Amino acid sequence: MRINRYARIEDYALIGDGRTAALVARDGSIDWLCLPNFDSPSIFAAALDPTRGGTFELQPVSTFESTRRYVADTNVLETTFTTGAGCVRVVDALTLPNHGLEPMRELARSIEGVSGRVPMRWRFAPRFDYGQTRPRWHRRGRMMVAANHVEAVALSSWNAGTAVAGDGDSYGTFEMHAGDRALLAMSTAYAEPLIDSPRGDVEGRLAHTIAFWRRWTQDRHYDGPWGDAVRRSALVLKILIFSASGASVAAPTTSLPEAIGGPRNWDYRFCWIRDSNFLIDALLQLGCFDEAHSLFWWFMQATALTEPELHVLYRLDGGPGVPERELPLAGYRGSRPVRVGNSAVDQLQLDIYGGLFETAWLYSEGHHSLDRDTGAVLARVADHVCDIWRQPDSGIWEVRNGPFQFTHSKAMCWAALDRAVRLAERGELPSRHVQRWRREASAIQDFVETQCWSASLDSYTRVAGSHDVDASLLMLPTIRFPNAPRLASTVDAVNRHLRKDDFVYRYHADDGVPGSEGCFLNCSFWLVSALARTGRVADATALMERLVARANDVGLYSEEIDPANGGFLGNFPQALVHLALIEAAVAIGSRS
Amino acid sequence: MTVVWSALAGGFMGTIVMTTMLRGAAEFGFTRMDLALLLGTAVTDNRRKAKAVGYAFHFIIGMAFALLYGGIFGAIGRASWWLGALCGIAQALFTATVLVNVLLPIVHPRIGTPETAANEIALIEPPGFLMLNYGRNTLLVTLLAHVAYGAIVGWAVRL
Repeated sequence: MRINRYARIEDYALIGDGRTAALVARDGSIDWLCLPNFDSPSIFAAALDPTRGGTFELQPVSTFESTRRYVADTNVLETTFTTGAGCVRVVDALTLPNHGLEPMRELARSIEGVSGRVPMRWRFAPRFDYGQTRPRWHRRGRMMVAANHVEAVALSSWNAGTAVAGDGDSYGTFEMHAGDRALLAMSTAYAEPLIDSPRGDVEGRLAHTIAFWRRWTQDRHYDGPWGDAVRRSALVLKILIFSASGASVAAPTTSLPEAIGGPRNWDYRFCWIRDSNFLIDALLQLGCFDEAHSLFWWFMQATALTEPELHVLYRLDGGPGVPERELPLAGYRGSRPVRVGNSAVDQLQLDIYGGLFETAWLYSEGHHSLDRDTGAVLARVADHVCDIWRQPDSGIWEVRNGPFQFTHSKAMCWAALDRAVRLAERGELPSRHVQRWRREASAIQDFVETQCWSASLDSYTRVAGSHDVDASLLMLPTIRFPNAPRLASTVDAVNRHLRKDDFVYRYHADDGVPGSEGCFLNCSFWLVSALARTGRVADATALMERLVARANDVGLYSEEIDPANGGFLGNFPQALVHLALIEAAVAIGSRS
Repeated sequence: MTVVWSALAGGFMGTIVMTTMLRGAAEFGFTRMDLALLLGTAVTDNRRKAKAVGYAFHFIIGMAFALLYGGIFGAIGRASWWLGALCGIAQALFTATVLVNVLLPIVHPRIGTPETAANEIALIEPPGFLMLNYGRNTLLVTLLAHVAYGAIVGWAVRL
């Protein structure tokens, strides 16, 4: 089940509470959790280093098989362990606050004996600050407590054996008979005292958490095809939204590699501007109006310090600084370096301006009018786009050997000015500079049509004057770039040159980073959308069916897939892939 | 009564200067803190109305603090611009560490807190310790604005 003590990425499931998230392996180990927030240092990081990273194991003592599912319509995971002696069910959740005194964060593991007699064991091995600090244990009442500066975690157990501490870990064994119930609860505190909750309170919060997720899912409106996959994607996206600010992490992990053993290992625990327009679109499609409203407000607050310039990504608290550094961890299956922070923040990526305006346009289309201050800010940004669109940039894929004149970046600048004009015509933006925005949008369109078109490829190209294609060109139909015949032939060219079976490479060109990578799954779903939007609905539907079947056993996708063996690669689960899935389902649904 | 009227006059002038400094700092890109928006969104999620309400709140709070300053100066029997500036420093630190960071999110229905989870929707990001979530210079801006406010109130108060 494990390869050199590492679980396969597809063997993880995600639980979360809108503040942080944990990866639970198929064998019952929790191998990734940052506290108190997504972007805080980890307390469990065995996914990146099984020796130093820290984990919370819970499994039968003897050989077992396991099956998993989410409790219907929730983000609460249910794992069933089957052994030769019987069967045990474990329910894992990061609980949500209920009325009452609750810990700052709480991880509940509820265990139920289903049949027979099953000896169980657990090992609670927190390691503070990305595995750098082994805890010392103290027993306080029924709690085993480990502290590091202002951070503390405590484990309480009920009917789950007597905790024994040693070598930085806390252990226990117990036996489950049919009908038995046991409970392990990890409560955490940051710069405040720990809360010692009675068993009834923990179980009450677990029940409340299940009820909340069910209610939230039932309130979503989606009647299109692949409803189960879309609803699971919506649930994933909801826990990736940092509730305190409304921002969304691109993925809750760092440095799960793009190729096993390779150096393409990045930290995705930040909010990328370009993802937010996909997210707002999906949230509005699914009837999550409050979440869309919150994201747009965060968006405008976060960009206030830097506008009219935008940063590529922002911290969840809205700050722009995310310095990149390397951690002394072994890396997933030896994939080093393990990075935290992301230096892509310093790049010029012109497409994000299109993302901003598409977000504002969709928000406005969703019957939220823009206030005067927001309109004035957007007008200044539109003027800025007019000033900078001719510059080369690092593009959507954040290449590190650029800058280049990326076609996708130019098209997104066109989208920015096109939406700015439309918003101004609707009275949402000051209209003083509308003529300039129109003129520059037209100039961008001319540039793309003359400099970024290859007659020999019968396609738009990756960069001006080149003869390569790029999967980002699949986005041109989505932003309604105005040349339908060329869009259709470009989709065909990407399909011919970058597709391998059901998967699509981003590009074949050098990007300045050593090592190889798998196929980005969002590109496959973009191909589905592009095929549907250019009239090939049957092809799109067939590909979509096969891609939906490629999700792991609980319906999640990582950033990439290895086309050779179908193994997941990259950070997991990735919001952009789930957003692309929703967009693809909607694109087909609206044309069927 | 002299102390009350002089404190109110100083509070009015001081709040004008402080509000102008805070707004100017935001416009020049030093901070993302928008006090009017923070205060006004306690009663409405309409951004335009929120700012109008927020400025009104801020003036009322500015006058109230000026009366408190007057009380302090009366109790110690002297008033001066530098005593006011010292009070301004204390007020700025209290504002950054407790008032806006801890107390405001508790009573404000739309500001996120460290406890806000998936079952709640926050519209405004939490300020964070020393309000640093709103930009690295936020504390400095807050400090300077409050020192100016305190100095004006201290200069205006007549015992």
